[in-house]
Amino acid sequence: MECSPGNQAIRRFKFRCYASAALVVLTVFVATASFRLLHLHGVVAYFMAVLPALPILWALVAVGQYLAEEKDEFQRALHVQYLLWGIGGTLAVTTTWGYLEDFVQVPRLDLIYVYPIFWLFVAIAMPVVRRRYK
Amino acid sequence: MSGRVGSPAKYRFEDRFLFIIVPLFVLDGILGIWGFHYHHLHPAGALAVFCATAQSSPIIAFIFIIGLYLAEEKDEFQKSVLVQSMLWAIGATLAVSTFWGSMEKYSQAPHMDIAWVQFLFCAVMIVAIGANRWRYR
Repeated sequence: MECSPGNQAIRRFKFRCYASAALVVLTVFVATASFRLLHLHGVVAYFMAVLPALPILWALVAVGQYLAEEKDEFQRALHVQYLLWGIGGTLAVTTTWGYLEDFVQVPRLDLIYVYPIFWLFVAIAMPVVRRRYK
Repeated sequence: MSGRVGSPAKYRFEDRFLFIIVPLFVLDGILGIWGFHYHHLHPAGALAVFCATAQSSPIIAFIFIIGLYLAEEKDEFQKSVLVQSMLWAIGATLAVSTFWGSMEKYSQAPHMDIAWVQFLFCAVMIVAIGANRWRYR
């Protein structure tokens, strides 16, 4: 994302994203270590399982906050377009792959990969959308 | 949808939905029920890839039709209601899939097929459209 010097909304968004990414790394480490070493089960196991998902949810909230805080209508419209292209690509890939799992026994794609697939498509969409408005 | 006269973009969206998405759904239903459940077909290779693409064609067509609608719609309010609904649907879909994916990975929660992501997205989007229309009524 391009950052104009005075754009506070995008600075806050970047900070929240970096903080959430750091928390994801930390919580994945904690969850993996606790499952390996403590052999958790029951409610504690479920809690530790959802722990890495919480910072990811925070990143989603950060996107919503950014869209609410962004004063520049053009920048907001650009980001909305990135997100829409992202979900379009994600739905196309996950649906086709899901049916391929049924028909050809391709390797199973876990739900946890939906989130990175989405951001991959957002990243692909960014330069393409920006080029349209050059 | 109200009884008021809609925009040309909305009419085109409805026509595309009726004449593209609905027939694709019907063909998918025929393929799924008649082919896979009744005749127990087991396609392989290129035919299987074709069947998978055919099964996912309604959602891919739906994405294109929504994109065309957003490009053609002149009414900024209608456009913003749809965009807001889609953003809520994106958020909910990513949240639920990440949450459930973590549970599957770490605590042996039942496996949810990745093809269900499309239904989750559409369900949340329908609810969000209703909620947004109610909000701005």
